[in-house]
Amino acid sequence: MNDDIDLDRVWVNVAAEVWHRQPGRVERTAARLLRSPGLARALVTTPSLLLPWLIASAVVLAIGALTQAGAGQPLVWLIAPAAAAVGIAYAYGPGVDPAWELSASMAVSDRMVLLTRAVAVFAVNAVLGVAASAASAAALGPRASADTAQLTFAWLLPMAAVCGLTLAVAVAARSAGAGAGAGVAAWIIVVLMRGAVGDGIGVGGGGLAVRLTGAITDANLYLPYLAVAACCAVIVGYTTRPQRGLQ
Amino acid sequence: MNIELTDITRKFGGHPAVDGVTLDVGPGVFGLLGPNGAGKTSLLRMLATIVPPSAGSLRLLERNPGTPAARAQIRRRLGYLPQNLGYYPAFTVVEFVEYFALLKEMPASQVPKAVAAAVERVDLGAKAKAKLRTLSGGMLRRVGIAQAIVNDPELLLFDEPTAGLDPEQRVAFRTLMRDLGQHATVVVSTHLVEDVGAACSEVALMAAGKIVFRGTPAELTARGAGHEIGDSPLERGYSAVLATSRKQVAA
Repeated sequence: MNDDIDLDRVWVNVAAEVWHRQPGRVERTAARLLRSPGLARALVTTPSLLLPWLIASAVVLAIGALTQAGAGQPLVWLIAPAAAAVGIAYAYGPGVDPAWELSASMAVSDRMVLLTRAVAVFAVNAVLGVAASAASAAALGPRASADTAQLTFAWLLPMAAVCGLTLAVAVAARSAGAGAGAGVAAWIIVVLMRGAVGDGIGVGGGGLAVRLTGAITDANLYLPYLAVAACCAVIVGYTTRPQRGLQ
Repeated sequence: MNIELTDITRKFGGHPAVDGVTLDVGPGVFGLLGPNGAGKTSLLRMLATIVPPSAGSLRLLERNPGTPAARAQIRRRLGYLPQNLGYYPAFTVVEFVEYFALLKEMPASQVPKAVAAAVERVDLGAKAKAKLRTLSGGMLRRVGIAQAIVNDPELLLFDEPTAGLDPEQRVAFRTLMRDLGQHATVVVSTHLVEDVGAACSEVALMAAGKIVFRGTPAELTARGAGHEIGDSPLERGYSAVLATSRKQVAA
């Protein structure tokens, strides 16, 4: 028998194999796109942090409902995304996230983690909204699913697209601040451009308030939102492609 | 030096929690003693790059944490156990330690072995797959220690690490600290004087946001000669220095 065998080391190798759970396909893809296994893990574990998840989702859906109730009120429409962002930030911030103190000392910036969580909250809720619309349409007819669909397409999808853009810029620039700036700027540009177009060619009609809210109420914009989101994904995929010598 | 503080101040609402601290610390186990409210946790949170100083100069691992890039580099080589370890009840021990290993940007291929080694090092192998909500307070503390050491850090910050540990675990942890301190700078904030005496090569005593003593545990013990308050020589030294400090403040 060889006395030189380090049983502790052998056991650690065995334990590492036995205990380690291979990341799923979504997490592996996210890790490659985000260039960070840590961010990817933060993204996929977001829904499992149940209390913050419920609070964030409730805030987002409540604000979505409020924006629909306030249709034609540009202040509500313009402030809603920021209010939702604050709600998500609170849900995953020191007030509710039990491990916030620890997360704040990590190499992966807590702001980047927050961005990925915001995307997860909007995107997963958007998918659930689409599913709920389809299910209620199948069960009760198209009219019954109209409210759910409106909440999904007029709120969750545009916000998921804006958050996706924010995250893409943040990852590419390696700066959460740059991402947030780009997201806010893009949203303001879309709102103002839609207002200007409405003024110029009469789309949407009505006064300034109605024209400004066209960024969300105009169904013609839903497809462009998705197209922009897809383009962002392609750009992120290209700029974050695996490079030789790097993991 | 892994820690270089020059005239560091941290204020909360105008009140200085840390008041003009200057400190250089190299590899070894460094004890931070002091009564509740002395500023130990605030100092540790600045060393963990969670809060910036209100004034003064702070360098960690020969970098200035004021810039995002340097801060990220420091954090990759940092281990931190907060006083109140928050945790996700539905995570298992391995999932929790692995999550923070990834957030420390360890290479993904090294994470499984590092996690297994850290969990074994705190003697939690039998509970590796247990949900955190099923663990006792002492076990949770050891989970916190495991996540702190998983990246083999050069700078380790422990805030009241032995709180909740039973005597046997406490002795094991002191051994672990001494072992870690052979290569890394380990700062241990505690109000348990016996932890400092058993594990630390150097100690600082804080009171009212200031460092009122710095030296070896033996030197602190010597300060207690003729002092009556305290159950052990080191405790008498501790209370003698504190008493002197309070008199100076009153004067």
